[in-house]
Amino acid sequence: MNQSVSDETLHAFVDGELDVAESEKLIAQMRDNEALTQRVCNLRSLKSMVQVAYALPPQARHAGSRDRDGRARRLMQRCAYACLMLAVGLGVGWSLRGLDAPDRLASWDGSEVVSLAVKPDPRRVVLHIDSGSPEKMLDVLERAESYLNQAEEQGRAMQLEVLANSRGLNLLRAGYSPYAERIAKMRQRHANLQFIACNQSVARFASEGEDVVLLPAARTAPTAIGEIVTRLQQGWTYVRI
Amino acid sequence: MISRLILGPMRPGMEALRPVLYRIAYAWSHDPALADDLVQETLSKAWSQRAQLRDEQALKPWMVAIMNRCWLDHLRSRRDFDDVDDFDDVLESSVDTPEQHCDREKVIACVRAAVARLPLGQRQVLTLVDLEEFGYAEVAGILDIPVGTVMSRLSRARTALRELVKQAMSQPAVPVLRRVK
Repeated sequence: MNQSVSDETLHAFVDGELDVAESEKLIAQMRDNEALTQRVCNLRSLKSMVQVAYALPPQARHAGSRDRDGRARRLMQRCAYACLMLAVGLGVGWSLRGLDAPDRLASWDGSEVVSLAVKPDPRRVVLHIDSGSPEKMLDVLERAESYLNQAEEQGRAMQLEVLANSRGLNLLRAGYSPYAERIAKMRQRHANLQFIACNQSVARFASEGEDVVLLPAARTAPTAIGEIVTRLQQGWTYVRI
Repeated sequence: MISRLILGPMRPGMEALRPVLYRIAYAWSHDPALADDLVQETLSKAWSQRAQLRDEQALKPWMVAIMNRCWLDHLRSRRDFDDVDDFDDVLESSVDTPEQHCDREKVIACVRAAVARLPLGQRQVLTLVDLEEFGYAEVAGILDIPVGTVMSRLSRARTALRELVKQAMSQPAVPVLRRVK
């Protein structure tokens, strides 16, 4: 294992504590050092796992009431979930309303954008694909590259996730993805780019008898919706392709 | 200041932080009822101490710092810790081990169980950085500890968490019994 870069530095990198110059230096090192990239990926997945684990904490029972068989709790959790979805829906309306500003509109190409922040944050973006259409797959990759290049040109730090579920999972499946080579190259070029497959979709394909092998560049999140909700809560901008 | 006292404009802002505070309190305590109590106490103390907040932009870290003090008071009252300052090295042993959860392939429960096994000080730093994305300096301010301690606790927390989750994941799954006619 490569220990030339300390754990503390890598933690600071994944937590966004390094300045642009330090981040760029580390990203340059990562390009030539697979072990280092792997350490960063491991840290990022650990961080994501913690975020998913607490995205919807169980609610406390109300004093005096008895939750006889857990149904009330489940109902509450579903209500909380529905409220979150409502918030996402409201977020769509709100953020689309906010897209009137010409500079925002130009940078998001008129896509369906959701952000719980007042202004969508261009530094942290999730691109979501749930369609198996090759055109949409190409679109998601084109946009990812365009956003990353734009950030690079402007010298600002950026984190970008391409999240695939449902039929969109084929984008990240070995033997099915029409863009496997391009994805590998993109992943190599941009250390701040993550390809994430929904594990629930993987399980569903598997239960239908399909053998799901993901591309080496992809990692998994327990559920796509969990990942989206968590990222929105953290102030990320969600773009549906 | 006078208008703030008369109009109380921060109350909605404080209430809006309830879900954030609850998530942090739950990640610290892993007890929904206790987390709820901590949030209530924090909101009530924050309201009564609102005049002490100089920068309204810093409402969130200020309220989390209040909740940290409520949490420390709770720990002292439990008498589990003779010296709360030493709690960074104390493992919570009463919770289920991660293995017990991972056998059921519940990733969420598994990670929660692993986080619950972390020493309290490490757990606080990890959850503030990972869940709420506070900067290291903000966490240092909230917990009233040096930034270097934040970094070392975070590093130890993640190393331990990775090991706990890895151990749990490597446990053989419980065989599924199938009905055969």
